[in-house]
Amino acid sequence: MVNYGGDEVSALVVDIGSSSLRAGYAGDDTPKAIIPSSYGYFPPSASSVDGDVTMNEAGSSQSVGKAKSFFGHSGPSIWRANMEIGNPIADGLVADFGPIPALIRHALEDVMRCSASEHPVLVTEPSWNTPANRERMAEIMFEEFQVPAFYIANTSVLNTFAAGKGSALVIDIGQSTASVIPVVDGFVLRKGLQYSSLPKLVHAHARHLLTAPNPVRPPAELYPYQLISNKQAVEPNAPPRYTLREDRLAGVTQSWREWYEAREVEEWVQSVAGVLDQGWNDQVVQHRQHKQYEFPTGYNAWFGPERFGVGEMYFHHSPQLVAGNPNIPKHIPGLITDSLRACDQELCQVLISNVVLTGGGSLFTGLADRLGSELARHFPHFKIHAPGNPIERRYGGWLGGSILASLGTFHQLWISREEWQEHGKAIVGQRCK
Amino acid sequence: MASAADVRSILSLPAVSSSAAGPSQPKKQAASSTRKPEGISRELYSLIGPSAPTIAAQLAKPRLKQKPNFGGGGKVKWEWRSFKNAARSDSLELGHWVKATDSPNTDYKFAKYNVQPTTYEWSQDEYSRYLEDSQWTKEETEYFFKLAHNYDLRWYIIHDRYEYPNGPKRELEDLKDRYYSVCRKLVRNRTWAGDEASKGQLMNSFQYDKEKETLRRKYVSSLANRTPEQIQEEEALYIEIKRLEQNERQFKRDRENLLRTIAGIDSGLPDVVEDDATLIIADPKKKKLKGIDIDIPQTPVLTAPVMKRPPTLNKNAVYDATHCIIRNDPPPTTPATKVAHTPAYLRSFKIPYPKAATAAKVNALLTEVGVSNSRLVMPTVTNCQLLESVIDAATNLVELKKVLDKVNLDIEILKNRLDLREDGGDGASVGDAMDIEDRGETAEPEGENERSQSVMSARSTRSRKHTRRSMSISSVDTTAATSTRPGTKRQKRM
Repeated sequence: MVNYGGDEVSALVVDIGSSSLRAGYAGDDTPKAIIPSSYGYFPPSASSVDGDVTMNEAGSSQSVGKAKSFFGHSGPSIWRANMEIGNPIADGLVADFGPIPALIRHALEDVMRCSASEHPVLVTEPSWNTPANRERMAEIMFEEFQVPAFYIANTSVLNTFAAGKGSALVIDIGQSTASVIPVVDGFVLRKGLQYSSLPKLVHAHARHLLTAPNPVRPPAELYPYQLISNKQAVEPNAPPRYTLREDRLAGVTQSWREWYEAREVEEWVQSVAGVLDQGWNDQVVQHRQHKQYEFPTGYNAWFGPERFGVGEMYFHHSPQLVAGNPNIPKHIPGLITDSLRACDQELCQVLISNVVLTGGGSLFTGLADRLGSELARHFPHFKIHAPGNPIERRYGGWLGGSILASLGTFHQLWISREEWQEHGKAIVGQRCK
Repeated sequence: MASAADVRSILSLPAVSSSAAGPSQPKKQAASSTRKPEGISRELYSLIGPSAPTIAAQLAKPRLKQKPNFGGGGKVKWEWRSFKNAARSDSLELGHWVKATDSPNTDYKFAKYNVQPTTYEWSQDEYSRYLEDSQWTKEETEYFFKLAHNYDLRWYIIHDRYEYPNGPKRELEDLKDRYYSVCRKLVRNRTWAGDEASKGQLMNSFQYDKEKETLRRKYVSSLANRTPEQIQEEEALYIEIKRLEQNERQFKRDRENLLRTIAGIDSGLPDVVEDDATLIIADPKKKKLKGIDIDIPQTPVLTAPVMKRPPTLNKNAVYDATHCIIRNDPPPTTPATKVAHTPAYLRSFKIPYPKAATAAKVNALLTEVGVSNSRLVMPTVTNCQLLESVIDAATNLVELKKVLDKVNLDIEILKNRLDLREDGGDGASVGDAMDIEDRGETAEPEGENERSQSVMSARSTRSRKHTRRSMSISSVDTTAATSTRPGTKRQKRM
């Protein structure tokens, strides 16, 4: 135990992202609880109308204020009449603290079956988190969960630690934001911090590709399984033959529709979309294999060059697109360039030879290779650390937190309950630099 | 089936114990139960059996490393114990699993890694006396030092987080310079508890040259901001340099080889000076490769001991005689250096030539007597020696002839003068002169062979009877070019 400087005090690590919340014991190599950040709820007015919600649905109902909420894997994904979908995270930050305690409680108590009051808790935050946000988080942990000790750590620093480094250029591509963050000696260089909602742009592009009228094939209808009563097998590109569950359609809210449509697009992106490793090339793209994908409606099609056009959005924006949208999110090479420009010249070499690629979005097919070829164009020496293990890629932040919170030398940094009561919110900013 | 006991009873054999199964079976050795001696492995013992050689028993027990005893041979009791971290200022108690055998009173073992850097603080008085700086206010300095302490002097972080309200923009160098200068001043002006050496050491650690650092940073950024064309050009130049250098090295090696083969010595010429230092900086990757390249041509220059004298021992004189080996002793006076070394050579290279001044005449003379020094058919040692003596003799003759001519001319002049004085008449003096001449002539050829005589006669001014082979010396003087015979006549003597 002492050999690697570890001393486990059975701390809990909670990592909240736009798509999922990860929680687990420090020292483990995978989070024990991975639940979606989205949750279903009935608006206060609607909750009285709908009476058929049962409490025994995997113990996932919580009450936030007066409304009934559903968390976890049987939360948003289960159709409930008039259920709205909420997500507390916007742009990587916690925008709505209302459901946060319930979300964490679900992960810790319903999934992990442990009480936060017995464990020190390490929570992660994005690098651009506001002081008010982190103080609020500390308040929630101390006041609502009665934790004995608390610490809030930066995801990019934790990703650096998870890669076994002290200094790195962390390229984190999540569900809603992509960020490029220089980390030196375990601290974020705030001047080099760059992030954009690039994944959203990619998502919108993919959605447009699927739903816009197309000369080759009919547009896809993004109905989820929950709304389809039966379907028949059809030829590729043929119009689907399915029947919807009319009884459920009436109870579908706008937010739930958005949620499931986004999920269908996301699934398509994950299984079909890709990016060419050497930049766009019309000839190369013609020779790439086509991929078949079937939507829940039974509609299926082969996707050829267009599937690579989606990934191209990560690295290159066409001039007309930029002209049309002046506030278009910066692509990855742009983020890297801007980030390095803000850094010291001497650090650039260190950073560029320690690039850490992380985040679930980085598992996009071909993204790591393409990033390599993009970097090779500008830098003679670079090295990308991109773990092949998807767990390490998706939960890099959590993993780093797990490492950090199980180090013997870290335990002096915890903000204890006593200190919280004595110093109040100011201690968070002082301790967690 | 009948058991073995039944069969025995049928055959009325005595019931036996298991130890003697039958007469044909050898008795089981009771020794099998003997314990194997210490110091032999079980496998070895089962191979050699109880008849272990005594030496095995005498062998000491092999001194192998003690096998690690994991877990102390039994269960280890762990218990959840709460602990206090000495590095913390509050009373937080965290829990962890420890061995129950560990003492509960030990300090937390990770607390010792909590090392705080020394912080420098100052009073108002100290600040106004030593630390005043036009660029910095006291408040900003204090803010800066707090930041520096908070981030453990991680300069990039400090520079990144430095946000003093309404303060000027500070470069990394400004910050470092301020920090180190303040520390220097404080250390210098405060009373120092330790010895001078440690103070000096500390002062050295606070040395900071802002100008140099700024310049260095400028270089770094200019290096990083090169355009691709510049980088390409640099690459091309670098490759060109390498190529030139390689050519030069190749030349040098060829030259060395050539000199060693032809002259048998090292040239001793200076090595090609290579501008290595700059190149190594330019590309450390190729350093190793180049290092080897440099070493190769250098070594023979330094170490080749070609100047050793050949062994001139008399004891193998007999061997030499039987095998016609002739050893040339080098002149004992010359030191044993490169210069004294005589490499292998062909004897024909050492055939003597007449002196340059008289070469034409001597050659003509030699040709006249039928000796061609340019065509020595068999340049053996004896032949060479003979040729040498002939050439020497010929040279002597030519020299003497010169002297003779001169003397004759003098005599002529004197005679003419005498004639003029005596107004023609008396011929006795002429006869005297003739006598002198004759005497000189007749005295000289004595001891010479016939051919020499004829040569001498050829050189006389008198119109004597020429021998068959010789020409008049006057013709040698005047018509040497035309009279040289074609070398059709082979020399027979040499």
